[in-house]
Amino acid sequence: MSGAMRLRHQLPVLIWLVLIWILLWGTWSWANLLSGILVAVVVTNVLPLPAVIAGARLRPVPLLRFAGYFLKDLAVSSAQVAWQTIRPGGMNQGAIIAVQLRTDSDLLLTLIAESLTLVPGSIVLDLDRPRRTLGIHLLNAADADDVERQRAGVFTTEERIVRAFGTREDIARLESGEPVGEPAAGTDRAEAGR
Amino acid sequence: MGLLLLLHLLAAVGAPLLVRWWGRQAFLALALVPAAAFGWVLTRLGTVVGGGEVRETLSWIPALDLQIALRLDALALTFAALVTGVGALVLVYCARYFEPDEEGVGRFAAVMTAFAGSMLGLVLADDVLVLYVFWELTTVFSFLLIGGSGAKLAGRRAASQALLLTTAGGLAMLVGLLMISGVSDSRLLSEIVADPGSGPVMVAGTMLVLAGAVTKSAMVPFHFWLPAAMEAPTPVSAYLHAAAMVKAGIYLVARLAPGLADVPGWRPVVLGLGVATMLIGGWRSLRQNDLKLLLAFSTVSQLGFLITMVGAGSQELAAAGLAMTIAHALSKSTLFLSVGVIDHATGVRDLRLLSGLGRRMPVLAVIATLAAASLVGLPPFLGFVGKEAAFTALWDGGLPDRVSAVVVLVGLVLGSVFTAAYCARYLWGAFARKPGLPDSAPEELEHHPGPLFLAAPAVLALAGLAAGPASPLLDHLVVVYAETLPLIAPEAEHLALWHGLQPALALSAVTLLGGAALFALRSQFTRLQHRLAVGASADEGYWNTLQSLDRLAVLVTGTTQRGSLPTYLGTILVVVLLVPGTVLLARTPWPDQWRAWDSPLQALVGAIVLIAAVLTVRIKQRLSAVLALGITGYGLALLFVLHGAPDLALTQFLVETLSLVVFVLVLRKLPKDIGARHRPAERTVRAAIAVCVGLVMAGAGAAALGARTATPVSVAIPELALEEGHGQNVVNVILVDIRAWDTLGELSVLVVAATGVASLVFLRRRTGAVDRASEEEASGGGDARRAPKAQWLSASGTLAPQRRSVVLEVATRFLFHTIVVFSLFLLFSGHNDPGGGFAGGLVAGLALVLRYLAGGRYELGEAAPVAPGLLLGGGLVFAGGTGVVALLLGGAVLESAYLEADLPVLGHASLPTALFFDIGVYLIVVGLILDILRSLGAEQDRQEDEEDPIDAAPDEVIVR
Repeated sequence: MSGAMRLRHQLPVLIWLVLIWILLWGTWSWANLLSGILVAVVVTNVLPLPAVIAGARLRPVPLLRFAGYFLKDLAVSSAQVAWQTIRPGGMNQGAIIAVQLRTDSDLLLTLIAESLTLVPGSIVLDLDRPRRTLGIHLLNAADADDVERQRAGVFTTEERIVRAFGTREDIARLESGEPVGEPAAGTDRAEAGR
Repeated sequence: MGLLLLLHLLAAVGAPLLVRWWGRQAFLALALVPAAAFGWVLTRLGTVVGGGEVRETLSWIPALDLQIALRLDALALTFAALVTGVGALVLVYCARYFEPDEEGVGRFAAVMTAFAGSMLGLVLADDVLVLYVFWELTTVFSFLLIGGSGAKLAGRRAASQALLLTTAGGLAMLVGLLMISGVSDSRLLSEIVADPGSGPVMVAGTMLVLAGAVTKSAMVPFHFWLPAAMEAPTPVSAYLHAAAMVKAGIYLVARLAPGLADVPGWRPVVLGLGVATMLIGGWRSLRQNDLKLLLAFSTVSQLGFLITMVGAGSQELAAAGLAMTIAHALSKSTLFLSVGVIDHATGVRDLRLLSGLGRRMPVLAVIATLAAASLVGLPPFLGFVGKEAAFTALWDGGLPDRVSAVVVLVGLVLGSVFTAAYCARYLWGAFARKPGLPDSAPEELEHHPGPLFLAAPAVLALAGLAAGPASPLLDHLVVVYAETLPLIAPEAEHLALWHGLQPALALSAVTLLGGAALFALRSQFTRLQHRLAVGASADEGYWNTLQSLDRLAVLVTGTTQRGSLPTYLGTILVVVLLVPGTVLLARTPWPDQWRAWDSPLQALVGAIVLIAAVLTVRIKQRLSAVLALGITGYGLALLFVLHGAPDLALTQFLVETLSLVVFVLVLRKLPKDIGARHRPAERTVRAAIAVCVGLVMAGAGAAALGARTATPVSVAIPELALEEGHGQNVVNVILVDIRAWDTLGELSVLVVAATGVASLVFLRRRTGAVDRASEEEASGGGDARRAPKAQWLSASGTLAPQRRSVVLEVATRFLFHTIVVFSLFLLFSGHNDPGGGFAGGLVAGLALVLRYLAGGRYELGEAAPVAPGLLLGGGLVFAGGTGVVALLLGGAVLESAYLEADLPVLGHASLPTALFFDIGVYLIVVGLILDILRSLGAEQDRQEDEEDPIDAAPDEVIVR
């Protein structure tokens, strides 16, 4: 890979590391900027990682939308899970569902899986990469309708994330709505947990 | 004098390099060092013969009043001249003894030169502690020289035997020297001898010192290490075991005799052992067929002779002893070197296989004959002069008690008869044509000795010849030492070749005739020896003792170390309960006020920790139990936060996380569930112990808080940290500045512990980095259902498909550099904010943990392609180097400095030197974590992958 290409790929990482460095020190100064650049260049060169074309974009407005909804989900789910654990009726049944996503990007799939996991009440157990299928454990599944509702929630999260971070192709794939490739076996199987 | 010792040290350090450059010729250059010392010693001859002495005192550790006191008087000069002169010649001999490209010569040259230096230091030392240090240095170097590369079992056994015996004696001697110097109120040998103390402590001290001398000089019953040490190359035997090291005991006895000969017990021990050794050594020597062993026993015998003379404590015998010491060193070295030449030329040392060698190597035969003649005491050699003087001394006086003088004289004459006999046997065995063997055996000579090879023995033999007629000159030197002792005979005889017809001449004739007779009747005598042979030997006794010691150790270990972790822990905890617990209950003042908590949050955290602790014990799955245990640690960190100690909290969080990782790495090798193998009663006892220990510790904490009466040290520290350490983070300044010595010590312990853990897992290889992925392995393959499409990490492709994870790999990719930057931030900001090298290193280590977990063992190798040992060592060098630099700049060790500057653009910049110390800490912590991952992670994976459970050689048996 040529030097210019390498720099283009490294630049976002370098900017990110410098930003982190300045935020850690908490003050803006030329000294912090220069030392940050030095640290970033040294760290990325002494401890190299293979170059990857991440193919991600940052879209500010959808990003804000995603962030807002994520925080809302976080708060609501936390309250729900807390109520679940202490309510007199005891815990509901859980469920494990498989959801086939439309996105076909390592990075976006990871982001989706992470944000689903971070929200209490759902944990991603498995990611089948060729089939783009997530195996998700739901803590609380009142009935089949609830499962479907939560499945739809997964798709909504996917959409928000792809619109915030995805490339144009990713968004196009999302809007075409048709999953490419055959659906995974057992997609609709809801299992009783616990 | 100090300079000469330093010169030896430098030569020893540089020797391997010289040998690499010049091959065996390097010995010629190395020989210049003892030769220079020899020259210097000779230039001081005038001063010393005139009754003066040369002193030199170098400051060593002033705080302990330790100094390197060196002193060159007549006795020291005699021995120093022997040590350096023979040393130089032996090194010259080495230049031809070794083959041009023999292995291990560099190491040998270094150790030999170092030995020469320490031997010189030993005879020059005036301070008893300096003497002891050099004494043990000679022991250690002798161990290295006898053992060689350690490839031969016999060499290893002989080396460890010599080491064990001589250090045992050396330690006894150390205690004795301290006792003597305590009673005599001086640490200088010169002052002790001039004005020795008295009383039972003095007697005990003297006996202990004699123990050191007796073991070092191979006296009965410790004589057997010397023949065993003949495993060493011949130059070693010639130098250490004839001229130098074994003479250390003689030297010490001679050094102390002027002051200590009248201490009760001195004469019986020295004379008794001396005469016995002379007789036993001579007797055994006559039974040997190996020429080198014959000489070894002959040396034992002669050492007995020498110690008898120098230890007798009379002027006339001391003079004879000193002359005889020189004669013996010259001739015995020559004889050893000659055996080396024979061995080199024929490959044989057994006198039953040699025949007609004298005709083929006439020069060598002449040299050996000269040396043997001196040893036997033929006129006009120095040996004759010495022996004559000894006989005369004992005939007229020599000892205060006439009866013992006669007994000793008879013993010495008999011993000298043996000497004459085995010398004849040596010459006959080495060079004569023998009946029953072909005229020339072996047929072919492998090497014909060149002139340089023969130079050293020739010079030594000729010196022995020349010194005889020149003995009146030698007398000037000898008498300076001898006159420090009382004269017992009516008049002092001076060393000379001819004293006229007197009884000693007749005794000399008796020894020669007796020796000739013994040699002539050798076959009958051999039969007599066989008949009288006893089954036991001191050597066997030694090995039996060692074996019983081993057995005892196994027995004790077997009874006390049962291998049960619960038992060990239980023992420790019960002791904690019994000793500090009892004190706590009985004698501790309790605090007056009790406050349960400062804020209710603390109570909440405490409750969580308690619940987690109970869960840890109750849970059946190991992994869950460890997680519950982790909660207790995190809870503690929370308590730190609530108490306003962010730095401690940060460190506690990181350590807890790392401990969890290590736990998991270990636990994955164990069954998933904790088996319920324990009876309820057992469990109850354990629970009781655990709860009680917890209560005792809590009580101890409370009592410690209540027991304080003085103002705590910590009051002054924040201010001190800011003023002296220029840091606002008190914890960090304490670690890297105020208590930097402690930290350095702890770092060393950490490095040792890491090395220990790794060597337990690796068994054979300690060094080296984690394996790197080779090309085909990195490409991976198979059904990677869980693998990401792109390559996010360097070597995750090598993982088994079922172990991969898209989320983990992508997240690791993005977090890795960020975490490393964060760790660097912690390192640099630690002086003023929470953080520091320790926390930073832990964070960087966790980044490596992440890489390992996401990408497997090859990923770890790619993430940190460096040997952990390098990081550990580098860190230690960094931390220690900071201290050394401070020292070089004129400060105290580890004293910190503070650099400040106003730079353009950057503004005010400040740099405490303690930062470098912290960088060392950082590197060590990273190295430690890498070592843990490498051994408990990567190596375990490798053993599993390659189905080669233990990394061992095929024929190796490993007991686990």
